[in-house]
Amino acid sequence: MSREREAEELDSRILATIERWHRHGVRLGEAEFDDLAIAIFDYQLRYAPAYAAYCAGYGLSPSALPTTWRAIPPLPARAFKEAAIAAFPSDRAELLFESSGTTLGAPSRHYIENRRLYDASLLAGFERAMLGDGARLRYLLLVPNPAQRPHSSLGYMMGRVAAQFGDGETGWYLDEDRLLLDAFTADIGDACARAQPLCIATTAFSLLHLIEAFEERGVTITLPAGSRIMETGGFKGRERSVAREELYARAMRTFGIAAESILAEYGMSELCSQYYDLPGSERHVAEAIHRVKIAPPWLRTRVLDERERECAPGTIGALAHIDLANRSSCLAVLTEDLGAAVDEGIVLLGRESGAALRGCSLDAEDLRRS
Amino acid sequence: MTALSSLSTHRIATAIGDAAMRWCDADFPPRVRVTNDIVERTGYSVPAVEFALDALFGELRTAALLETIARELGEPIALDASASRVLPLGRIAILSSRTTIGVAIPAMCFALCAKNDVIVKDREDHLVAAFAETLREELEAFDRALHVESWDARHEGTHLQDARLIVVYGNDDTIAQVTSEHAGSARTIGFGSRTSIGFLDAAAQGDPAARAAAFAGAARDASLYEGEGCMSLHALFFERSSACDPNELATEFAAAMERATIEFPVGVRSASQRAAMLQERNLAAFRAAAGNGAAFCDEHLGFLVLLAPPIQEAPKFLPRTVVMLPVGSPEEIVTYVERHALPVECLGVTGTPRSYAEIASRIGVARIASLGEMQRPPLGAHHGGRPRIAEYVRFLDFDGEHV
Repeated sequence: MSREREAEELDSRILATIERWHRHGVRLGEAEFDDLAIAIFDYQLRYAPAYAAYCAGYGLSPSALPTTWRAIPPLPARAFKEAAIAAFPSDRAELLFESSGTTLGAPSRHYIENRRLYDASLLAGFERAMLGDGARLRYLLLVPNPAQRPHSSLGYMMGRVAAQFGDGETGWYLDEDRLLLDAFTADIGDACARAQPLCIATTAFSLLHLIEAFEERGVTITLPAGSRIMETGGFKGRERSVAREELYARAMRTFGIAAESILAEYGMSELCSQYYDLPGSERHVAEAIHRVKIAPPWLRTRVLDERERECAPGTIGALAHIDLANRSSCLAVLTEDLGAAVDEGIVLLGRESGAALRGCSLDAEDLRRS
Repeated sequence: MTALSSLSTHRIATAIGDAAMRWCDADFPPRVRVTNDIVERTGYSVPAVEFALDALFGELRTAALLETIARELGEPIALDASASRVLPLGRIAILSSRTTIGVAIPAMCFALCAKNDVIVKDREDHLVAAFAETLREELEAFDRALHVESWDARHEGTHLQDARLIVVYGNDDTIAQVTSEHAGSARTIGFGSRTSIGFLDAAAQGDPAARAAAFAGAARDASLYEGEGCMSLHALFFERSSACDPNELATEFAAAMERATIEFPVGVRSASQRAAMLQERNLAAFRAAAGNGAAFCDEHLGFLVLLAPPIQEAPKFLPRTVVMLPVGSPEEIVTYVERHALPVECLGVTGTPRSYAEIASRIGVARIASLGEMQRPPLGAHHGGRPRIAEYVRFLDFDGEHV
């Protein structure tokens, strides 16, 4: 069988899995997940040479496959910066996503062979997590505009979401990194006048800027009923940041919106699927309260210790995601994010930052705490 | 007038040396008590803490204090003459370090030898406070001259305002914060975050005994204090040599790193450090699979040796993590250090330290030591390249006399 035919068959199975959950709520059982994950892994060992060479170090090959998805070696996300991680000729990619370049060095590149599979995964995940009430919203987007940043996965995702689920009046309010505040203010006023519910999709950094701009002007708004905010991205690589609780509290004041109407999305350019906050869920992990994040059934996560063993639930470790929609690249990705497994999903604790130069160091934060 | 101004420098140094001698005894009860607290605060293993205390107090000898003073001030009695030409500053505040064990103590002792009143902001393990108690037992005047207390952010403004000089061990943010928020009119001396590097020349590589000794020493330098001290080895350069295969060198060094985990068991690590080490190891394995470099570790990831990672990457400031980089000549070390703007405290070498003076001066190194001795700086070594006592005094010149 040709590679193309194998890829088509796998994509059909993955699409069917997505469809069953999206339309009927049918989840994958452990055996089904194992079966599909190992079939994809087998394919990738044969057609993704860079990943296959890495897996050889684990003693894995098409003739020596694991018996469970939990034994599939996760590839460090930074490998996407150093090589084309593709299980197909990468010049035939229908989509190419690059990381936002918030860390030093080359951007991460994720080549995707099949746009349909990517779209199906993101749309199903978004609709189930963000549009449980079936609302048709107006999308006000403070994320990279695909017209300017065609390789932004977040921009692409929200463009597809708005086209599929929006009211046809989508607005983009980032001009490169500049916030188009006047346009945003005018459009939000128009929506409020028409009682048109909104979805403001924004990075945490842009949301903070937006709130500060409104606070400076002394403006508060009560968004139309049914409106929501989707926040994503944290403050990666930014000099300024605020705690998420503070950010949300200020967003609630500025936009007259309830806490449960602000949901965080967690994704990365190296994955085709996303996590979202489970509304109303909170867990106490690492001396703090965190919202639980849930994934669609084709995305699972292992929380790993330094020996690559799975941590007990509630114990902090490195997040390794297994995304079956990553058929054309690498389905298992070891991130630089820390988190913990909980009953319903995971809690995300942020990016590992264990590599700071210390020397004779007395941290400023330490000083303030003492 | 300060509390110590009527005493001779020799008397002060003797009291300090005698107190330190008592602390050299691992069974000295105050040391036993504080050791557990240091272990709890730092997460380092007991042997590492014992090593630190032995190194710290073993160096704090009366003769070494007086020799260092003589080297910087001409002679210790310069501080004692009735019409002295070297005077104490007055009150000096020292902010102790979060990581390095007892880093404030040598500074405190030299500030006392200069007859200043000294206030030290201690850490949670109260090491400085415990040693101060012993000092007071040796010399009652220390009771008035030396105050050790915990940091209290609410009241530091008033506490530190009386100080003429504030010595801060911290990163750039901390030093800036102390200067702007607490220093008032006081001068601030900051000891910022620094790291250390090593070099293995071709001659040492070719001699199995010398090579083994160098690797054992380098492993100790990298393993102590989990790589957090400014003397901790994070990058080991080795001269390309036809005599030795880089993979064999790295394998041998990794074996030494593994043996070091027996002498100095691995300390407590944060989840972020563990995750970062896993990420680095797996990335190196990915590169190795593509024919670039290699990673060496034990099954517990107690240490990590990264052979020939891309030179565009800075060293990994992770526990017991060392990058090994082949170089054609020491000149390439300069290029690497400049590329990453590394603030280097110590250069560990295999040959004669003085033969690296030119390289060291170009990369801003404060000290050149033999591999294995990086974590044992002599008392007189200029931490951060700064004087030991000269900054704690002011000079009074008399026209017509030799200056």
